[in-house]
Amino acid sequence: MKNEKIRKIANNCIYTLLLLLAATALAFLIFFASSRNSANIALIYILALLLISQHTASYGYGIFSALFSVVCINCFFTYPYFAVNFTLNGYPITFIFMLTIALLASAAIIRLKKQEQMIAERERQINEAEKERIRANLLRAVSHDLRTPLTSIIGASASYMENPEAFSRQECLDMVSTINEDSHWLLNMVENLLSVTRIQNDGGKVAKEPEVMVEEVVSEAISRLKKRIPDAKLTVEVPPQVLMVPMDPLLIEQVLINLLENAVVHSESTEPIRLLITEETDTVTFHVIDHGKGIDVQILPEILSGHYDRPASTEAHRGMGIGLSICNTIVQAHGGTIEARNHEAGAEFYFTLPKEDKAL
Amino acid sequence: MIGPSCSILIIEDEKNILDFMTKALKANNYKVYTATSGQSGLALITSQCPDLVLLDLGLPDIDGNEIISSVRQWTSCPIIVVSARSNERDKVTALDLGADDYLTKPFGTPELLARIRASLRHSNRMESSSPLYIHPYQCGGLLIDFDRRIITLDGEAVHLTPVEYKIVAFLARNSGKVMTYSAIMSNIWGPYADSNNRILRVNMANIRRKLEKNPAQPEYIYTEVGVGYRMREDEFEAN
Repeated sequence: MKNEKIRKIANNCIYTLLLLLAATALAFLIFFASSRNSANIALIYILALLLISQHTASYGYGIFSALFSVVCINCFFTYPYFAVNFTLNGYPITFIFMLTIALLASAAIIRLKKQEQMIAERERQINEAEKERIRANLLRAVSHDLRTPLTSIIGASASYMENPEAFSRQECLDMVSTINEDSHWLLNMVENLLSVTRIQNDGGKVAKEPEVMVEEVVSEAISRLKKRIPDAKLTVEVPPQVLMVPMDPLLIEQVLINLLENAVVHSESTEPIRLLITEETDTVTFHVIDHGKGIDVQILPEILSGHYDRPASTEAHRGMGIGLSICNTIVQAHGGTIEARNHEAGAEFYFTLPKEDKAL
Repeated sequence: MIGPSCSILIIEDEKNILDFMTKALKANNYKVYTATSGQSGLALITSQCPDLVLLDLGLPDIDGNEIISSVRQWTSCPIIVVSARSNERDKVTALDLGADDYLTKPFGTPELLARIRASLRHSNRMESSSPLYIHPYQCGGLLIDFDRRIITLDGEAVHLTPVEYKIVAFLARNSGKVMTYSAIMSNIWGPYADSNNRILRVNMANIRRKLEKNPAQPEYIYTEVGVGYRMREDEFEAN
């Protein structure tokens, strides 16, 4: 911090001196080229003065420059040459004018810079507030969504512990499988939240691995989904050529799992989910297509935007909003786009990743 | 076959996880020792010589990796590392230090038992390293005859390049266990192989196109993202 200040002062001093020297040199050139006509000399110094005020944005340099200029003009460009003569006619007026110009210019520049800073500061505050709001909303939605499976886990285990003999074997099995299912759901939610921290650690960007094989990420995502939902039906179509895309494989895996799981759980269809990967000139697109009831047209425009303030009637969709908005965050952090639409017989979510890692 | 008499040491500081693993293993007739710290774990390894060690990487006193390297100085007893997901680098370090396999938390009992069986089998084979012991790898429709260097899939011969064959054979000999990129690289291309594993992954993509019906849903060779590859368990041994 202190070093920076010193460097700034040194920088300003050098700039001021160089400009004044340049102005003097230029003045000499013009003065002697135009047979000792001193009309333009003051203008050259005023120009230098303005530039210095603009660069340094501080009164001191301007005042020093004004003094320097007046002395120079007096010394070099007014009779008697190469001698300082303070009794010269009109000298005080020149000096006062130059000083005023220097002060006015510095003041204007300083005010401008202050305003810029204030605007930047205000923007930053607004951004912070927005981020804070999103974070609070996310936390509220997450805690709400986490409570539901926890209630069933605690309820099932507690009622068994209270009276183990009251339940038949089948009932016990049912309760334990509910506990298992809900725990898996919780696990996926935790993975989702962890992936968000993986992004925010890096200021909204992701640490991409330069060459990730698309089919490996796809197969890993499918095998993890199959672990949770063993009877999920899927068909996968990958282009025959090997596709390498820069990405964070764990995050894209999470996006695929969320989209596939949404399709399996919410489409209410028994037809297999289609995972289609297509290659374009600069991008690779992942399509998740189901043949179910489609997306409600009312929520379609907002489904990916992360608006968590949804009506209580969508209780059946627990976790869906969070999952999708996390997908959105992840894909955007990769410099890609994600979209949702309805086709003739169901819903389709698709996201696109750039093949080249453009400096974002 | 090998279940009943085997002893397993679990080094894990989380009591609930330790309990669950102990119960699951005892229910499957394994003899179980437990340790909740690295120091007591090391002491138990030297005094009891367990047939297999399940090691949690995040211990309160010693780093799990240090345990692996100090155990590896004097015994090849299989070590299965148990660690949380998303730190692939830790897993790779542990595997390269000499751990045999890893399990990602959370895991189910079937997965735990399968990994234990695979590791025990491989450690047994190391002792019986006679050439007679080498038998073809067979799993589903895939058959690998190591003597004749022939691979058939559903009875049809599969044509692999020499490098592709070496990769598949190496994975098949270690079927059921994860092999890190660096382990495969140094086995196929020698110890001075390039540290960039692109060549391996490209070869693997080509192998998959020849062996798997759908490369995105592999049946025989699975990817462990960021770590390496795992070939499906040999059915010849599993029976």
